[in-house]
Amino acid sequence: MLRLSIDAESFPLGKGPMVMLVLFLISTLFIFGHSEEQGEDLEFWIFANTHYEEYQARVPLFEAENPAVNVRLINFGGTMHDKLLAAMLSNFGAPDLVEVEITSIGRFLKGAIDEIGFVDLRPRLESEGWMDKLVVSRFTPWSYRGRIFGVPHDLHPVVLLYRDDLFKAAGVEMTAVKTWDDFIAAGKKATRDLDGDGKIDQYAIVLDRRTESDYFSLLLQQGGGFFDEDGNVIIDSELAIKTLEFFTALFNEHEIATPVYGTWHGDPSNFAAMQDGKILSILAPDWYVGILKSQVPQMSGKWKAIGMPAWQPEGRRTTTRGGTMIGITKQCKNPDRAWELLKFTYFDRSGLVNRYETTRIIPPLKAAWDAPIFREPDVYLGGQPLGELFIELAPDLPARYQNPYWSEAADLLNDAIFAAVTEKQTPREALTELAEKVRTLIAKDMGRWGDM
Amino acid sequence: MRSKRTTNPFWNRQQKIAPYLFIAPFYLLFVVFMGYPLISSLVMSLYEMRGFQSRIFVGLGNFTDLFRDPIFWKSLRNTAYFAIGTLTLQLPIALLLAILLNSKFVKGKNVLRLAFFAPVLVAGVFVAIIFNLVYDQRAGLVNQEFVLFGKEIGWLNEEKYVMPAVILTGVWQWAGFNMIYFLAGLQGIRQELYEAAAVDGANWWQAFIHVTLPSLRPVIAFVFVVSMIGSLQLFDLPFILTNGGEPADAGSTIVMYLYKNGFQFMRLGYAATIGWVLFFIIAIVSIVQLKLLGIFREE
Repeated sequence: MLRLSIDAESFPLGKGPMVMLVLFLISTLFIFGHSEEQGEDLEFWIFANTHYEEYQARVPLFEAENPAVNVRLINFGGTMHDKLLAAMLSNFGAPDLVEVEITSIGRFLKGAIDEIGFVDLRPRLESEGWMDKLVVSRFTPWSYRGRIFGVPHDLHPVVLLYRDDLFKAAGVEMTAVKTWDDFIAAGKKATRDLDGDGKIDQYAIVLDRRTESDYFSLLLQQGGGFFDEDGNVIIDSELAIKTLEFFTALFNEHEIATPVYGTWHGDPSNFAAMQDGKILSILAPDWYVGILKSQVPQMSGKWKAIGMPAWQPEGRRTTTRGGTMIGITKQCKNPDRAWELLKFTYFDRSGLVNRYETTRIIPPLKAAWDAPIFREPDVYLGGQPLGELFIELAPDLPARYQNPYWSEAADLLNDAIFAAVTEKQTPREALTELAEKVRTLIAKDMGRWGDM
Repeated sequence: MRSKRTTNPFWNRQQKIAPYLFIAPFYLLFVVFMGYPLISSLVMSLYEMRGFQSRIFVGLGNFTDLFRDPIFWKSLRNTAYFAIGTLTLQLPIALLLAILLNSKFVKGKNVLRLAFFAPVLVAGVFVAIIFNLVYDQRAGLVNQEFVLFGKEIGWLNEEKYVMPAVILTGVWQWAGFNMIYFLAGLQGIRQELYEAAAVDGANWWQAFIHVTLPSLRPVIAFVFVVSMIGSLQLFDLPFILTNGGEPADAGSTIVMYLYKNGFQFMRLGYAATIGWVLFFIIAIVSIVQLKLLGIFREE
């Protein structure tokens, strides 16, 4: 019979390793045996720092109202979407609630509709009457095949932010600009070589030719898109081609646009160019104004805003760019409780007013719009009440239809836009080729999988 | 080492199994975190996956698709471009720095060593962010200071300059790190060899060619192979510097394309295929390198 007699003398490596082993075992027991707080847990993942600050303040209020619930709010930053993907793939470890960014949601919609990892919120939204209380077009990015997988965090209407002082110095009154034709005329006056060295020193507008952001915003403004409501590829439509022709002409024909300095609009180089007066206007969603305020506070008072120039008189003066949703995952054990937290963070009027106060993000809940804060003068815009302008434009936001192939499509669209602006292909060639590639990709999958 | 025998049967038995227990953690971890994923990814490369649960067997379909995929070839070209740039620019600079810091005539060697080594301590993401500013077309340090180029170069905005920009950034970040290997190699060369060469009438250059380089061969082989593997696995630097490989995939690398397919496009089978193709490329290139550098040769 095995006699278990463990003492420090007979332990093969001596006293030290034995003490270390005992400490290891005790600490392991302590770590894994440590009990969590009592009550039901709700795990809530987010990726945006600004949202984290807001929810850190909101979550304790929810817990106070629901003493049996502990909310674990985790901000994973930029890696959150990959972690969520891994958790859904392994069918283990996903949170109860999660926020997802608009360019990332497509990949979560692949596969059979019943395999999608989010709970369909349409029945709850409809039965409780929330659809009518929010801007309905903002559900389209989070909807697929009739199901709604997320509730919009925001609207992200876009305005034209401009340097009133520099346009006025060029003899242009920007409030008179109503259409893109007006803008081109104004831009030709304001785009100037100030020191006579043959180089243009200030451009009327800065646009991103490396990615789809500005071009796609212009396309959405006219009701276009990459995919239609039924999932058909429409990026080679006449509307899309004409829009890309217009976009490239701003650079090459009218010469009033400069490519973004650096790699995107939020690049420090771009902010430096703004401060140097090289950029006179930019298409800015509400969140971008928030970035400007935090990154270039020294430009306070230099900007003004108008609605985007329309494509025809009395046409739509805005578009939408960016966005976040909140969804309940299918791994959530208590969707009813998660739904309560969702409503508390997304549908509570006072919380949404507070959100605007900290992030300048216009909420999709229409009932919040009459709060006085939205009418307050904005110091950064020289006293112009920017919130009022955003809310005026908000009901007219275009729909942006979601599709599982959006990530691949956007990646290829970036290349097509760059090829057109750098005149390697005509806009028609670039978009026709692009549409063909995406259709081929979809057709191949349909051949293998059928219509999922 | 002291060997102790005991009459306690528990410890006697334990002494027999102890070696296996000691090496078990490595093998367990290897099986869980390397063996299983390797086999799983190989299996995955033979399937096409869709969504979170559906998969169908496609055999070598992913491999044939990959070899017909122009973005894969472009990513492969970019990666090879970086690897060649690393071997032909970064490593000679590293060797030159090592020789300079090993010479008797340079003062403040410790400070210089630290200065050249320091960039590797900066995380790749921060390096990319810093160099994003450095390469800016109009306000960037490179275009501002190096007017000898005669024009504004769109380092990150024109396709042909994107990979050179990434290579130069790699030189800044890694040359000092490789310099340390070369320096260690140089310090290991016996002084008598140089004395013998001097007696034979060899000048500095002849001593370098006939003494320094042959003596450094194992270090050069190691640095070449490790640098080549690192180059072929390039990801974070161009991903941040070029904002995901733009414009027009000019900054795309194999690992970046793998990441995009796996995590952005949810084409996990295809991503696994890219991973295995990369594995074979690295294996072949490493073997060829070691062969050319004579590492398999018996002395």
